[in-house]
Amino acid sequence: MISFILMVNKQGQTRFSSYYEWISIDERSALESEIIRKCLSRSELQCSFLEYRGYKVIYRRYASLFFIVGTKPDPFAGEGAENNENELGMLEFIHAVVECLDKWAGSICELDIMYQLEEVHFVVDEMVQNGYIVETNKVNILRPIALMERESQKSDAMFR
Amino acid sequence: MATGGLNLSSEFFQLLKAIGESKSKQEEDRIIAKEVARLKQKMESPPSNQTGPQAAFTNPKKLAKEFLVRLLYVSMLGHDNSWGLIRAVEMAASSSLFHKRTGYLVCGACLPPDHEFRFMLVNQMQRDLSSPNVLECSGGVLACTSIITSDMVPAVAGEVTKLLSHDSATIRKKAILCLQRFYQLAPEVVTQEEMKKHVEKALCDKDPAVMGSTLNVIESLSLENKALFKHIVPSLVAILKQIGDRRLPAEYDYHRLPAPWMQMKLIRILGILGQADIVASQGMYEILNEAMKKADSGINAGYAVVYECVKTIVSIYPNAALLDAAAEAISRFIQSRSNNLKYLGVTGLAMIVESHPKYAAQHQLAVMDCLEDPDETLQVKTLDLLYRMTNPVNVEFISEKLVHFLSQTPDLFLKQVLTDRVCKIAERYAPNNAWYCKTITQLLRVSGDLVQQEVAQNLMSLLAEGTGDDDEESDMLLRQTAVEMMVKQLFSEHAGALPKILLETMAWCLGEYGYLSAETSLDMLLEQLCELAETRSLPITTRKCLVTAVMKLVAQAGTCPPAAAAVIDEYTRSKDMDLQARCLEFQTILTHCPQLLPEIFPVDASAEDVQVDPNLSFLDGYVQQCLHQGAQPYDASIYDDDDDDDDGYGYGGASQPEPSFKMTPYEKPQTPAQAMMAMAGAGQLRSAAQSISLPPGSGGGSMISQPKADTTPQLSLNTRNVANVWGKGGLSQAPQPASTQTPTTTHIPTPAPAPSWGASKTSVSTPKAPELPQKTAEQLERERQAAALFGGIVPGAAPVPSAMSLPVPAPVPATPAAPPPPAPSAPEVDLLDLSIWDTPAPAPGPVVDSFDVAPASLAIVETVSDTEDEPVSVPAPAPIPAATMDDPFASMMGGLQDEPLESFPAASSKFEYNGVPMAPLQITTAQFGQQWGNCAATTPTSVQTTMNLTALLAKLEEVGAHPVEAIAASNEGIAAGMIGGAQLVLIHGRVTGSSVEMTIKSTDTGIATSLALFLSSAMR
Repeated sequence: MISFILMVNKQGQTRFSSYYEWISIDERSALESEIIRKCLSRSELQCSFLEYRGYKVIYRRYASLFFIVGTKPDPFAGEGAENNENELGMLEFIHAVVECLDKWAGSICELDIMYQLEEVHFVVDEMVQNGYIVETNKVNILRPIALMERESQKSDAMFR
Repeated sequence: MATGGLNLSSEFFQLLKAIGESKSKQEEDRIIAKEVARLKQKMESPPSNQTGPQAAFTNPKKLAKEFLVRLLYVSMLGHDNSWGLIRAVEMAASSSLFHKRTGYLVCGACLPPDHEFRFMLVNQMQRDLSSPNVLECSGGVLACTSIITSDMVPAVAGEVTKLLSHDSATIRKKAILCLQRFYQLAPEVVTQEEMKKHVEKALCDKDPAVMGSTLNVIESLSLENKALFKHIVPSLVAILKQIGDRRLPAEYDYHRLPAPWMQMKLIRILGILGQADIVASQGMYEILNEAMKKADSGINAGYAVVYECVKTIVSIYPNAALLDAAAEAISRFIQSRSNNLKYLGVTGLAMIVESHPKYAAQHQLAVMDCLEDPDETLQVKTLDLLYRMTNPVNVEFISEKLVHFLSQTPDLFLKQVLTDRVCKIAERYAPNNAWYCKTITQLLRVSGDLVQQEVAQNLMSLLAEGTGDDDEESDMLLRQTAVEMMVKQLFSEHAGALPKILLETMAWCLGEYGYLSAETSLDMLLEQLCELAETRSLPITTRKCLVTAVMKLVAQAGTCPPAAAAVIDEYTRSKDMDLQARCLEFQTILTHCPQLLPEIFPVDASAEDVQVDPNLSFLDGYVQQCLHQGAQPYDASIYDDDDDDDDGYGYGGASQPEPSFKMTPYEKPQTPAQAMMAMAGAGQLRSAAQSISLPPGSGGGSMISQPKADTTPQLSLNTRNVANVWGKGGLSQAPQPASTQTPTTTHIPTPAPAPSWGASKTSVSTPKAPELPQKTAEQLERERQAAALFGGIVPGAAPVPSAMSLPVPAPVPATPAAPPPPAPSAPEVDLLDLSIWDTPAPAPGPVVDSFDVAPASLAIVETVSDTEDEPVSVPAPAPIPAATMDDPFASMMGGLQDEPLESFPAASSKFEYNGVPMAPLQITTAQFGQQWGNCAATTPTSVQTTMNLTALLAKLEEVGAHPVEAIAASNEGIAAGMIGGAQLVLIHGRVTGSSVEMTIKSTDTGIATSLALFLSSAMR
């Protein structure tokens, strides 16, 4: 299952992070910088997977931004179980996330994510819950987001 | 769309701009530190939470939400934001959906699981879960998933369960995953029974999204308990079929593939449920085949589904047709140009070879490529594959690769895993003891303290006890080999910086068997050990071992050099009581009765059982004498009080008194290895009784009076189980058939009077000549295996020990007149070949008869030649002088040969193969690089020589290769040659000063192997 989803630029600055198991803030920083360093040290031709401290990490680069997913064996698989995550499936899932963000915001870029961090979270929350892929149908993902935006505009209008 | 965020305050906008433009982590930290100060100040003034317009251009609610996003940034960039989190809790109660969700988001991301604020949110979540507003409700479910802790589950579980039948599919699909979270947290509140019931219902939901999310729960629960969902296999199969038939709305398609992630999940669940269940598995075969075919559409998502099918096919009850299809998919992956697919191929292969090794054979070249790929992930996966396909035939090659990788990777996590694996395969598959010693020593060096103590312990008991088949000669040979290896370590440049575990093992080994070293005198050993024993940076336990070794060597040498005396004297003032005591005892014995030393430190007796004389009968004479002189006889009752610590001396067999209070301090706990090493030294000095745990209280017994007893050191060998690994009938026997089959090779011209480890690889020089051919065969075999990593995996080739004696299939034809490669053991090959390949060539009967080759080796050789897919031994009738054939066989073969026999010169200048000399190949370094991968056969070899780079290249030129380039910076040289206009030979050499490490590649295995042998004999 998914332990964390990160978006980190090639300077190593985190632009988005979502953790599905508790890791303290300090450890998160260390983990993120280690992983991005590993990703940066790898060439385009090398495979998009790596192992880091028992995490199976799958990453994909879009322009200057790395989308990184860290996975672990399911907690119910028992001690020392092998991580049966499908690496290529997860790699394609990253792309599904990006396609979804694209559909939501036109063409997503690093700045878009920075300016609308909380909403990017909402989109990802529709796709991944408790570390499991819950939805990949873009219509289903974006419908609640659109509804939410409409409602907030309504209430904003009320305040004015 | 997505306009919500663009209404930023200028302050926030500036912050984001600054973060975006910062060039370093330090700069970013400064920006955030400033931001924290600003936020603290602003947020302390309570936000005016009232609704309604307050000022014309600022909406305080909006600003408050923005503060939260800024808080999120603070934590995301690695800074503490706990001071502001109360605002997030407040915001969760907001009536605006966006604000509420932002509040929940920040709480879920930043509140540690034990934080009290989480409890403050329970009420709000309960309210939201029962809200009629779908969005609020959905937000509540998501918040529950991330915020609820085990204590809070009872408060919300009921509400969430109700939501399973909510009107909106969005809510239902989230609720089932939320319940799964609750089940993870508190299985006593949300029970497995309940979950099963909910899941069965949700799987049949009319909305596919709910079904899709339920699959996650099914997978997780089946991992925990396979029996739970066996009965839904037909449903899962039906769902998978429907997805394949495109029954789902097109919205679920991804790149025109129907719902790939649902397919993957379904297939994965089938894999779990079908494990070791023939009935369940049979129900899946058809759909798996179908899913795999349909998914194979040339896009990555399709490959991911195919890969999932492969995994499932391997894990369920096997079906031959599906396995073939899976193997086919694997081979396409592995041959792909994309490293991602290669990765899947190698991983898939690793899964399939464990139970079906035959599928590995065709991929050996691709696997070698992956192993040499600069991509570390791929390398690690390939090592994993190698580990899983290890067998007695390829173990040497594989452990060599693993150790090599270990010496390079800085990743401790990985190192630990690989270290354990090397230990495992070395113990399980070691072809012979010398190899085992060498591998473990190397491992101790590269992995140091990551190696389990017991591994070093096993090594020592192997040396001490020998193989257990009472072959003292081979035991001594093994010890000698080990000693030479250890001597090499001892005299290496930074001996003081070697891992502790290696130093301790070395100390024991040299202390016990240092006299076996042919190259190094005891004096030199002593000197070096003394120096090391004084290295302050070493832990005291290690130094203790070193001092003990010094003592043993002093006893062996019969004299105490000043350096040793100084060391021992110094440690008589050690803070470590044990060490101090031992040094004092040693000093006393040395000065008062040095003649006792050889008895106290008996040579090669560490594995002997200690005979304890509990009655202390050896004192009888002394007692008699004393009584005679009027001393009081011993009366046990006088001493038999509570604080008597002499119980042990009253020990008279059956009537051992229950130990009462133990007044002597307990011994310092020692790990087994330390204990053993300490005992090996101390056992003789201390009362023997102590070291074999006689009754308590005997601990401090008089040391000086004890040695009269038979105090052979008692080695606390608690690892006798390992003997089985190498013992009778074990793999250690393997090399022996070689020597019986190859009586002709006794005259190998390798006298090597002073064996170092490197030399012993080819032929450990022992006083006994008959050992030589065996070693050589072994060495040949080693070279052979390096090239044939896949040996023993090949279909039909059972990994029987006799494979170890497999002759090098050097291309010697069936006719006895073949040109043997200039390897010393060529005749052996020749002879074996005669009998093995039942070629139509007129092989003379008598010769065949004279070499009784077991049919087993026939099969092996044949299969090897199959897999190699090379003309390993094409019967070529060219009559060429056979090599070193004398003694019995010379006469036997005499009639068959056209030309007189002549000894093959050990260091002939040009390398010849089948009589065809090697011709220089004029290529560039770039071409060399290209060809490197094309050469199938690889033979690494190491030669002990002080030859420098120039000399190496000159030598290679002399042999017939073209020196392509000398890289002085790294002391590497490459050379290329061609044999017969078709077979390529590439040589890569690295000069280390004391040795030359060469890798020889060729398009022909025989050539690579023979050239390796030729070069090592020519260069030594």
